[in-house]
Amino acid sequence: MAFPPLFLIMRENLPGMPRPMTTIIDLHLFQAAGYPLLLALLVLSTLLGISGVVNLCRREPWREKESRLGLILVNILFGAGFLLIGWLHWRINRELPLTLPDQLAAWLNNQLAASNQGAAYGLPLYDPAQPPRYIIPLWIENEKYYFWFMSFALLALLAWRRPSSHRFRGSMLVLLAVQVTLLFTLADPFTAPLPRFFAEITPWFAPGVEPMAKVGMFMKLYPRMTFYYNAHYMWLHPPLLFFSYACITLTFLASLFMLSGHRPEIESLGYDAAKFGYLLLTLGMLLGYPWALQAWGPNWWWDPKICSSIMMWAIYSTYLHTRLYANKVSMWYFSSALGILCFAAMIFTFLASFLFPGEHTFQ
Amino acid sequence: MAKKGSYDFYLILATTVVLAAISLICVAAMFQFKAAGIHLLPPEAKVAWQEQMNSLVAPFLIALLVLLGICVPKRLLPTAWLNRFAALLLVAAGLSSWWFGVKIGLLLILCVSLGLQLAVLILALLGSQRLNFTKKGYWGRVGSSLVHLGLVLFVLDLFFYRLPGLHLLLFWVTTAATTSGMICCFYAEGIARRLNGGAEGRRLKTEGRRLKAED
Repeated sequence: MAFPPLFLIMRENLPGMPRPMTTIIDLHLFQAAGYPLLLALLVLSTLLGISGVVNLCRREPWREKESRLGLILVNILFGAGFLLIGWLHWRINRELPLTLPDQLAAWLNNQLAASNQGAAYGLPLYDPAQPPRYIIPLWIENEKYYFWFMSFALLALLAWRRPSSHRFRGSMLVLLAVQVTLLFTLADPFTAPLPRFFAEITPWFAPGVEPMAKVGMFMKLYPRMTFYYNAHYMWLHPPLLFFSYACITLTFLASLFMLSGHRPEIESLGYDAAKFGYLLLTLGMLLGYPWALQAWGPNWWWDPKICSSIMMWAIYSTYLHTRLYANKVSMWYFSSALGILCFAAMIFTFLASFLFPGEHTFQ
Repeated sequence: MAKKGSYDFYLILATTVVLAAISLICVAAMFQFKAAGIHLLPPEAKVAWQEQMNSLVAPFLIALLVLLGICVPKRLLPTAWLNRFAALLLVAAGLSSWWFGVKIGLLLILCVSLGLQLAVLILALLGSQRLNFTKKGYWGRVGSSLVHLGLVLFVLDLFFYRLPGLHLLLFWVTTAATTSGMICCFYAEGIARRLNGGAEGRRLKTEGRRLKAED
């Protein structure tokens, strides 16, 4: 199997990663399988995007059967890539436990017990027989974009079965192509997987680390493992939000089409996506609440990301309320405009993590 | 007197305005957070800023709950009573806010809304025809009641987040009410069809057994 030279260079020289750790978890195999998969996804979705543009420009449908088949293939490829990501996480779980020398365990547990006193949410004690292991959810770092866009691909496939128009379907394909291009160029989860995670744990697996230095590292890695990587809420809060983002994207497309004319079948499709998205968004946001209290304490209220999420939720609630009166001409357009505003609010909320400081920041 | 339909419509518009105001406050808070470097302030200053923002948003939260307070009895009372009820709620909230502080005003509204919403939920569950909903159908009504109850409970939960036991209990009740409410509300027809289908299926099965026994 042939790969581009750049990829070969990158996989041999992952920054800051000593060779043994990458070998232990078969990272090279993951990269070797993931890159061609993502490339295939890019090629296929580009072809679908071209088909989408043609359909948008034409009065009559063009190659709809082939496009549907392509969309099914895109979903299969996305699913295969997701399984591959799951495999990498499983390897991390099995092969990278935080093991400490036995003689340090008792001392460390005394320290942990002391720090747990008076804390609302304490850290579990270290068990030498079962050292802590990472149970990393499948949507952290660049993988979250993968999951988000995969959700959109699945929704597009489901929406394809509903009566709409070839132009609406074309617009879904164009948006899918844009998303996969972004994934390939800016957020590839396969070529350099989990860079932050590996940067965090690399010193731990470096050879010749002094025992006391290892304890110091443990006290940094362990709380992050407990309250972030292994948090139960991490398995629910982000995927619910990302799936709701995909629903909002579909509602946005339907709202754009609603502005151009009275199309009840497209409006109904957009409304169904909005209802499901709102359910997931509300549940996802609610489940983030006790997690925030656990991880950050009570002082996270009015954090910029929380503010933008509430803003998005309020706009979404407004959209669903006005939709009750969408049969009035003015409300039809107002409701459509709110559907578009929801999408803008979603993009703003997502970017808030990069642009504003606070607990959720990626700055 | 305004028609019921138009009254509902204006209530929706008013809700839209209040939600838009809350959204704007949230966006303004984000920019202020960044510009003033709130995250870099000592904890006391940060808490003071949070309290200031709470006070700013509280009137809009009260307005939202008053609107909810109107929406709830809208399902129980004639329209003529609604204005009186809304005015009474506003006066009570205003007086208690002025006398005891905005938090107590909000708490009063919350307690009234909670009582009303529970009454509506019970009536909806009993299938009462006295209720006047925009949504038709049993499950749509139950769902709508649960969602509004969830919103009231959520704001109530914010009051008690420093008491972990009560907060977590309220939180899970809120989550259960909101989620089940949305499912009932959004998918009312599907639920009814499925349940009726099930009843029909059971009826046919019993009929089949009876015929077999007769044979």
